[in-house]
Amino acid sequence: MLDVSDLMIAKGESFGLVGNNGAGKTTLFRIILDLVRPSSGTVMINGKNVQGNDEWKHYVGSFLDEGFLISYLTPDEYFQFVGKLHGYSDVDVKAFYHRFEEFFHGEIIGRGKYIRELSKGNLKKVGIAAAFMGNPQVIILDEPFENLDPTSQIRLKQLLLEEQKNNSLTYLISSHDLNHVTDLCQRIVVLEKGSVIKDLKENENILAELQAYFQA
Amino acid sequence: MLVYTLILGFALDSLITKGFDQPDSFAFLNRFILYYFAFEFVTRYFIQSAPVLDAQPYLHLPVKRSTLIHYLLGKSMFHLLNIMAVLLFAPFTFMAVWTRSGGSTALLWLGSLILLSWTVHYFVILFKKRLDDTVWGLLSILGMVTFFIAADYFQWFHLTQVSFLIFGKVERLPLLFILSIGLFILVYLFNSRAFLAGLYPDEWTKNENTHRSNRYDFTFLKSFGWIGEWINLEIKLILRHKRTRTILWMSSLLLLYGLIFYTKDDVMQKMPDIMLFAGVFVTGVFMINYGQFLFSWQAGHFDFTLTRPLSIRQYIESKYWLLVTVTFLCFLLSIPYVYFGWKILLVHFTVMLFNIGVNVYVIMNMAMWSPKKINLSKGGTLNYEGVGAAQWIMGIPILLGPYVLYLPFRWMGYPNIGLIMVGLAGVIGIVFRPYLLSLTAQRLASLKYKIASGFRQE
Repeated sequence: MLDVSDLMIAKGESFGLVGNNGAGKTTLFRIILDLVRPSSGTVMINGKNVQGNDEWKHYVGSFLDEGFLISYLTPDEYFQFVGKLHGYSDVDVKAFYHRFEEFFHGEIIGRGKYIRELSKGNLKKVGIAAAFMGNPQVIILDEPFENLDPTSQIRLKQLLLEEQKNNSLTYLISSHDLNHVTDLCQRIVVLEKGSVIKDLKENENILAELQAYFQA
Repeated sequence: MLVYTLILGFALDSLITKGFDQPDSFAFLNRFILYYFAFEFVTRYFIQSAPVLDAQPYLHLPVKRSTLIHYLLGKSMFHLLNIMAVLLFAPFTFMAVWTRSGGSTALLWLGSLILLSWTVHYFVILFKKRLDDTVWGLLSILGMVTFFIAADYFQWFHLTQVSFLIFGKVERLPLLFILSIGLFILVYLFNSRAFLAGLYPDEWTKNENTHRSNRYDFTFLKSFGWIGEWINLEIKLILRHKRTRTILWMSSLLLLYGLIFYTKDDVMQKMPDIMLFAGVFVTGVFMINYGQFLFSWQAGHFDFTLTRPLSIRQYIESKYWLLVTVTFLCFLLSIPYVYFGWKILLVHFTVMLFNIGVNVYVIMNMAMWSPKKINLSKGGTLNYEGVGAAQWIMGIPILLGPYVLYLPFRWMGYPNIGLIMVGLAGVIGIVFRPYLLSLTAQRLASLKYKIASGFRQE
């Protein structure tokens, strides 16, 4: 059960979501993306209800799990396909590859493997990168650091910060890694059994407070 | 099925002596034993799965590989099909053969049949492992069938005589029994060899998938905009998975289904109405087979579909165009049936209109009825994954629909008007396409949460 009342996320904010397994993080994201129907209440993005509306799909990029990938395509085909949905030309796709070159570390593009054959870490890279297609304003990522190797984790963090600086993005990121999520996000919300029990903003010593909470 | 087999087994003797009026039921039956084994081969081919993948959970355990193989092969024996021969022939053996030819003959005969049936069991496993989903497997079966039909036709020999020579000669039964044991052991050994050589899980699954990337890309579809993109995606899905490829194969084979009726003049004279049925089936064969799981195929990325800039209406539209295009293609491929009369072409055209105008919506809407996820990495033939209540009854409205419109007029004596009504219904469906597609899309929009959560469960 999820019971969240009146959660506002400002434009350009980095919103971090933490909580133990079963707290409802993924469910909250699914409700925001109109994949699960809330029993009551609404989700508004840019003042518009996500239900019965397709407009937000143009400016919300998301990657929650493997259901957001197409397992029988190669990463190249997948990016081209997603690109086409956003009106990318072949040149745009090339430019897009260039943006993520460092993050991909030469393991994704042009390898001729199907997505279903990729390692968990590389699956994650494909999904995260695809969430950035079509110049979104909002990006929703569920556990982006999970399964990534240490180099990729550090590169991802740099990438996310850089992209936000260049494109004034709003992030909604859930993570079990308190260090990464506090490095990235100015605001951290702690979910426990479906309820918001902490809403921590900048300038406080967030990491210490989180560690104290999870130790208890 | 088992009960029926047993009932048939008990009835076999009196069925042959009374039903077919053959005094020597033993001799009569022996003429058809080879056909029985051919039937068994086909049945097993479709129902049985190769037990290779079962090995995976045990591979890391401290068990000898050969032991593991014997365990797997032994375990595969516990299959209902392996007692079919016993159920079918044992009653006959004790009721007819024992009383007439004596105990030893009866037991040798029954023993040989059972052993041969089990030989077929292992042979099918070997066959599936080596030749399944290859052109060679299909060709070798087709070649065999053609050969026997030719032999029958050109009077080289009759399979019934061969069958009788093998099974019917009482004095040779001990030899047959020994040969059966030999064959059984041989095929078992071949199997364990083949399995021992191929116990690496990677090889079973990967050889199918890698090295094929980028091979098919139907770039011409790109000129159809986003509909073309989604259809291109779906074609890749179909061509890159065994189960969907099987559907493609089956559909092209089933295009010949009409031959069953059209080649027989008496059938055509007595039941000309069967043309509607054959026509719906032939032109809609892919639509029915693929469309029944329309949403299940892409269950793995349903969440993706819902979060991309594409409305449900557009998604439905791409599905619609895929089904309609293939249905039209099936119609074009069925044009050679005109050889059996212009009427057939006319009927096929009419029911194709019905398929495109009416049945396509029936299929799309029924496919939304609590669809189940299909794991595409699993094998093809007789894989029941994804089958729910909808799939069982889907055929009824699709195949009977045209008759509801046609028969009243035919009974009144105006079959042509009936035919026109069927075509008209199709045309109306085509004309009201935007409206009907919107209705279908609305239905999917209201069901999408339920469907998505169903697909997320493994």
